Amino acid sequence: MTARLRQAALASLVLPGLLLTPAVSGAREYLQLFVAQPYLELHTGPGRGYPVFHVVPRDASVDVLFRRTDWFKVRTEHGVEGWASQRDMLQMVLADGSPFRFGVGDRAGFNSHRYEMGLFAGAYGGANYVSGYASLSFNSQLALEAAVGQFLGRFSNGVTGDVGLTHVIVPQARWSPFLTLGVGEVHIEPKATLVQAANRTEQTAYVGGGVRYYLTRRIFVRGEYKAHYVFTKRNQNQEADEWKLGFAFFY
Amino acid sequence: METGIRILLLTALLTALPGCASVRDWYQHRAERRAAARAQSAPPPVSESPQEPQDENAPPRVIEPEVARRKIKVPRIRNSNVEVGLDYGVLSIEDFGTHPVYGITAAYHITEDFFFQAEAGRSRGGRTSFETLSGNIQLLTESERRFTYYDLSLGYNFLPGEAFLGRGIAMTNAFYLIGGIGGTDFAGDTKFTVNFGAGYRVVPADWLALHVTVQDRVFQSSLLGATKLTNNLEARIGTTVFF
Repeated sequence: MTARLRQAALASLVLPGLLLTPAVSGAREYLQLFVAQPYLELHTGPGRGYPVFHVVPRDASVDVLFRRTDWFKVRTEHGVEGWASQRDMLQMVLADGSPFRFGVGDRAGFNSHRYEMGLFAGAYGGANYVSGYASLSFNSQLALEAAVGQFLGRFSNGVTGDVGLTHVIVPQARWSPFLTLGVGEVHIEPKATLVQAANRTEQTAYVGGGVRYYLTRRIFVRGEYKAHYVFTKRNQNQEADEWKLGFAFFY
Repeated sequence: METGIRILLLTALLTALPGCASVRDWYQHRAERRAAARAQSAPPPVSESPQEPQDENAPPRVIEPEVARRKIKVPRIRNSNVEVGLDYGVLSIEDFGTHPVYGITAAYHITEDFFFQAEAGRSRGGRTSFETLSGNIQLLTESERRFTYYDLSLGYNFLPGEAFLGRGIAMTNAFYLIGGIGGTDFAGDTKFTVNFGAGYRVVPADWLALHVTVQDRVFQSSLLGATKLTNNLEARIGTTVFF
């Protein structure tokens, strides 16, 4: 009961703090853009389904407040705030007349980007496997990757952690294969009904490959196979196959 | 004979050569091209340079222009795609009754349609009807009754619209479908869990959202004898903040 009280007290402290943070973030300088197209449509929300409620005429300016996915919250000279789409924003110009350019999530971004994140479902050594990964790309082909996962099987449960390098062979292809190589750790908890049921943590190394398929915008599908070599403290090393398929996005 | 033919052919060639466009005036042509290339690669005329020796007839310069090129700093546009929050609700654990559940969520909005979401929550299983009827038999210890789950899910927004509160307040809203996988720690074991559900999000301010979510968490359990898929329905309300 005391533990629950403590958790409730902690939550009640954290929540107002969380809620107040954006409100007190203070004044900041916004980017000013000019309408170069006949007019700029403002929607009530960040999505194509939200209706247009205001238009900004040519040569008028707007301040860009912030961006959410492919939509920009802008404020007109008269103080009207609304959401402009990425497609419309690409036609805007800066104060010196140069076109406004920003990172858009498209095929070019898929070919070459900085960060990736994704989540997978799959199998690890025959057990069900839940996994997520994040990667940092050095160029369009080479990336440093970190992945964590949990396998949940009939005979044992456990968690895995991997760090490795990934080489994308043909980054510009829609179906783009890659190779991966790295090291990691696995923590195995055998189910209590088996003999020798001691938890253990082992070093691993893996080699694998997979394929990425660009779906739309910033999203792609990624399927992957890794052959893990588990360096046990026993006489024989173990091998574990990891298969997984999931969704990922880049930015 | 052969020498005669050769002389004849060479004479014909020599007479034809001066008429050929590619050879005629080749020397002058090359000189012209060289001059043009030099003019292109050379720096612009030095008349504006202050080092230029003053022409004696030119009027003295009154104003020395000292124009420093201004560096324009374009303010960065803040991205606000991350949503973090807390929620509270009820969870019906199959065979173990319905109990309060509380949790945390974090979401990343990839496009206007799709988002990734990670969730973790905790509840508590009660007594099964078997335990209630049979007197003092306890299937699980107190710590084993703790129900902890996490999941990684993909969400899809649909039916975007606006909710109106009186005459003056309009808030954007959307329904979403959500599904994913994760793990559930209950009754001394962690089970692979599939979750799916739907939710409603209303956004009173750009940085704040309120959620109502209903989800089913399905995992295999053999706690009461036969192995079966258990459905654990959960209804929550939550509040999230956009960063």
